[in-house]
Amino acid sequence: MGLIPEEGKSLPPPGIVNRYSVWLSGAGWLTAMLHNAMARRPPLKSGVHRQVLFATIGWFIGYHLVKFENYAYAKRDRDMNEYMKLHPERFPVKEKKTFAEIVEPFYPVR
Amino acid sequence: MLFLLSKIKSSIKNLKIFSAGSRSAFTSTRTDHTHPNWLSVALAFGTSAFLWALLFKQHSTDVHEYRVRNGLQ
Repeated sequence: MGLIPEEGKSLPPPGIVNRYSVWLSGAGWLTAMLHNAMARRPPLKSGVHRQVLFATIGWFIGYHLVKFENYAYAKRDRDMNEYMKLHPERFPVKEKKTFAEIVEPFYPVR
Repeated sequence: MLFLLSKIKSSIKNLKIFSAGSRSAFTSTRTDHTHPNWLSVALAFGTSAFLWALLFKQHSTDVHEYRVRNGLQ
């Protein structure tokens, strides 16, 4: 794959059904239907081959887009965690207080 | 320049001297929806089938790569 280098291939691949595939194929289908409507043809019934082709192209692009996005975010997370390991002084662990310690005593005025 | 010439020609045409001087072969018809362009239909469906096959192949390759690299298979 041209977009993703070797290290990205050890990431779990997205399923065939994934968020961008569904959305972009819907967008492609909508484009075909809009094209039909603007040419004053019945939007759903005409040019089914066009609708199928546009939806397929959207699905295909969506799959590769999800794969690339997963890689980009994984890389960012890995680099961020490595940086945090190398500079622990910049990330002090904050002392956690319970709500009981923070909250002022409650005196109801009814 | 050419546009001016054509304008002059068309205005003089009424004199019927240049009636055989320029003729247009332009024709136009509306798309006949009762006779679809089967070539473009076949190409569209063929391309879709090709892309789906490519997608499934790529997915299975990716899954295999993932399993191999993480020592699962």
